[in-house]
Amino acid sequence: MALTNDPPPRTSGLDAQALDRLRELDPDGRHGVVHRVLTAFESSLARMCTVLEAQAHAEVADAGVVNGIAHTLKSSSASVGALSLAHACADVELRLRLNPGRELTPEIQQLLDESAAALAAVRAMLRS
Amino acid sequence: MTKPEVIADPATGEATGQASGHPFGAGSQPGGPQVLLVDDDEVNLLLTSFALGERGFRVTAAGSGAQALVSLVEQAPDIIVLDALMPEMDGFQTCREIRGTPGYENVPILILTGLDDDASIARAYDAGATDFYVKAPQWSLLGGRLHYLLRASRTRIELERSKAKLARAQDLARMGSFEWRRLSGSGLTMSQEALRVLGLGTQETVSVRTLVRMVNKDERRVLLRQLHGALRRASTLTTDVSLLLLDGRQRIIHVEAEPEFNERGQGAGYSGIVQDVTERRVAEDKIRQLANFDALTGLPNRRQLLWRAERALEQARRMHHLCALLLIDLDRFKIINDTLGHGAGDELLVEVGRRLRSCVRHSDQVMDGAAETLGLRFHRALEAVGRLGGDEFVALLPEVADEADAQRVAQRVLDSLREPIFVSGQECFVTASVGVALFPRDGNTVVDLLRNSDVAMYSAKSQGKNSSAVYSPTLAGRGRAKLELETALHKAIERDELVLHYQPKIDVHGAKMAGAEALMRWQRGGKLVPPCDFIPLAEETGLIVPLSEWALREAAKQARVWKDKVGFADSIAVNMPSRLFERSDLVEHIHQCVTAVNVPHRVIQLEITEDNLMKELQNVIPALHRLNEIGVEISIDDFGTGYSSLAYLTTLPISELKIDRSFVRDLGITPQSSAVVTAIIALARSLGLRVVAEGVETLRQMEVLHRLGCGLMQGFLFSRAVPSAELLNWLEQTVLPRRAPWIAVARTGQSPSELQGPAPSRRTH
Repeated sequence: MALTNDPPPRTSGLDAQALDRLRELDPDGRHGVVHRVLTAFESSLARMCTVLEAQAHAEVADAGVVNGIAHTLKSSSASVGALSLAHACADVELRLRLNPGRELTPEIQQLLDESAAALAAVRAMLRS
Repeated sequence: MTKPEVIADPATGEATGQASGHPFGAGSQPGGPQVLLVDDDEVNLLLTSFALGERGFRVTAAGSGAQALVSLVEQAPDIIVLDALMPEMDGFQTCREIRGTPGYENVPILILTGLDDDASIARAYDAGATDFYVKAPQWSLLGGRLHYLLRASRTRIELERSKAKLARAQDLARMGSFEWRRLSGSGLTMSQEALRVLGLGTQETVSVRTLVRMVNKDERRVLLRQLHGALRRASTLTTDVSLLLLDGRQRIIHVEAEPEFNERGQGAGYSGIVQDVTERRVAEDKIRQLANFDALTGLPNRRQLLWRAERALEQARRMHHLCALLLIDLDRFKIINDTLGHGAGDELLVEVGRRLRSCVRHSDQVMDGAAETLGLRFHRALEAVGRLGGDEFVALLPEVADEADAQRVAQRVLDSLREPIFVSGQECFVTASVGVALFPRDGNTVVDLLRNSDVAMYSAKSQGKNSSAVYSPTLAGRGRAKLELETALHKAIERDELVLHYQPKIDVHGAKMAGAEALMRWQRGGKLVPPCDFIPLAEETGLIVPLSEWALREAAKQARVWKDKVGFADSIAVNMPSRLFERSDLVEHIHQCVTAVNVPHRVIQLEITEDNLMKELQNVIPALHRLNEIGVEISIDDFGTGYSSLAYLTTLPISELKIDRSFVRDLGITPQSSAVVTAIIALARSLGLRVVAEGVETLRQMEVLHRLGCGLMQGFLFSRAVPSAELLNWLEQTVLPRRAPWIAVARTGQSPSELQGPAPSRRTH
């Protein structure tokens, strides 16, 4: 709840603290944990964006699908340090739970926007 | 382990094995716990795999519930971690499926939920999850939780195993446990094993009331008293109860329970065990029966008797009263056993036992703890007749008023045997000799009392049997002397202490010796023991057999010596007890004795008393025939005193009758004597038998006998029994020179004035 009440400012980069925690899993980098996790996140996020795009163009968006994506992205984005996306997911999830019948377009758009930003950050990170 | 192994791509569902090539978790130990990690999000799956691998877990990753179920078949995870929210089959459903898979009923399952997802927590437990965990990137917390769950699971498995072991052990021991709470519904909880012990279904609930109703009626009151007593004192309860189970079986159940207390120290209930001890009790009873009771008569045996006697003496000491021990020995039981067989002997003992126990206030059982229950009257319950062994019984009278009291019971015992006993279709008359010893007068210990009642019993026997005798110290002295005598007699043969003395048989008419009778003497420590002092003992102990065999050997040797010295060609008569005739080797033994010294068989003549012969007639006849065939003559001793069947006499292979000395002694004094002698002589003559008169001491007796037609005599008139050397002297100095007064009388046929016999004896001539 704290995440939704107090959204952090959007940043183009990934949260340094989260990245540190990832690095801790593979301190000397021998196993390329950070790279592998970011790669997995990137491909997973790209797939979800495709699904979200489809929902955005659907006549009636499927709340279950949107909620599922928000739930999944919430923890994986937090893990890689895409905190803004993580907050957005938590926010969407909460809103859908509090008001299940609502129109989903703003939420889908919000998720797509945040995802695009996160994707850019991850790709930039991977490139570096 | 070591490396996370992603078995399928979480997004595509295709098997990838992508993580398997990575040497993740280099720090983890091989053989760490196997985790099945299930999450639809690839990023989380990877991260969690790495994190757990780093912490020593071997991780198998599955991207969906369906894949997780597949992997269960191939792997056997120690623990399963499920993400709660997954598309299609979510974590809860997966959890349920896993729980339904055989072998996974108890595997720890952890469900990962979101922080703000209270509903999932409840659902997780509903689905059978072991625990839930709120997702967080603090991996060490997750690892710790998994270790905790694994340890709890191991503990649980061990507990289950040890429970199963206990259950098995209890089943084997026919044992089960129970708990009883004072203040709760039915109060009683029984383990399945306990229910089985009681023959109840394992699902049944049972109340104390039901159980008490199963207890045999006569024990119920005692049990309830015990239960209430234990409850009141909050003490341990240990008891055996006989139950009639609902299925009709009668069992003995051992109950042992310890009280339990609440925090205020009040008895809150009991916990304990029930055990079926029926077999053990049956076996114990059997052992006790075998150990304490005589198998034949069912009476207390020696051990049980001694135990009772000890208790009786303790009590008598405490309460200052007298106590009596009666030793009852059947007379001539051996004869019954030998003639009718052991089966009949046993039958007889059973009946005797039955009669004897009716002579006292016999108690079969003295229950353990009877001393406490009966208190001062306890010793009365000890009263019994028991069998010491063989034909020996003991009556224990724990309290008698005086000697006369004990004697009355002894008389009752003798009376009880007065009626004949039917065994093997035959009437048997049995008598007993009873020895009485009183505590404390005749002994302070059971051993002393037994010994002294034995002494008294022997005294009763020697006074003609079928009677009782009370112990006195003088009897004991006699008993000891007898014991010493027996020991010494055993050694007499090997020490060459036995000798044969010879009394000549005289042919009065020819004034010559016509044979001799060998008589045994015992030179014991310079004194000559008369035969009447040791022959009965030898017969009683069986020593008579070696003694008689020795006598035969000696007689044969003597015949040889005399033959060489004086041309002895008659026979030496040796006295034989009937039991020797029953020995199959008697003929062979005589054969060896005579051939060893090269004399003919006929030098040995055997004398058997009329009594002995008639008592054992059937057993003796075959031997008589065989002896007769080889030339050994048989003489019947003490003739006229027994009850000979004249019919038998005509057919027996005998050669000689010896008129008993009692008739000879009275010759010329009572007319009956000469009548008997005349009759015997006539009988012998008609049967073609020789007649020898024994105990001839006076010339008058000799003359009368001679006149009546008996020419062969023995007696002090001629010579007493003397050592062989003396006999030769006598022959040389008295007979051959014809110096003895009897020779003159015999030769002249003159009747000395003092020889005038009474008229009747003449009339019989």
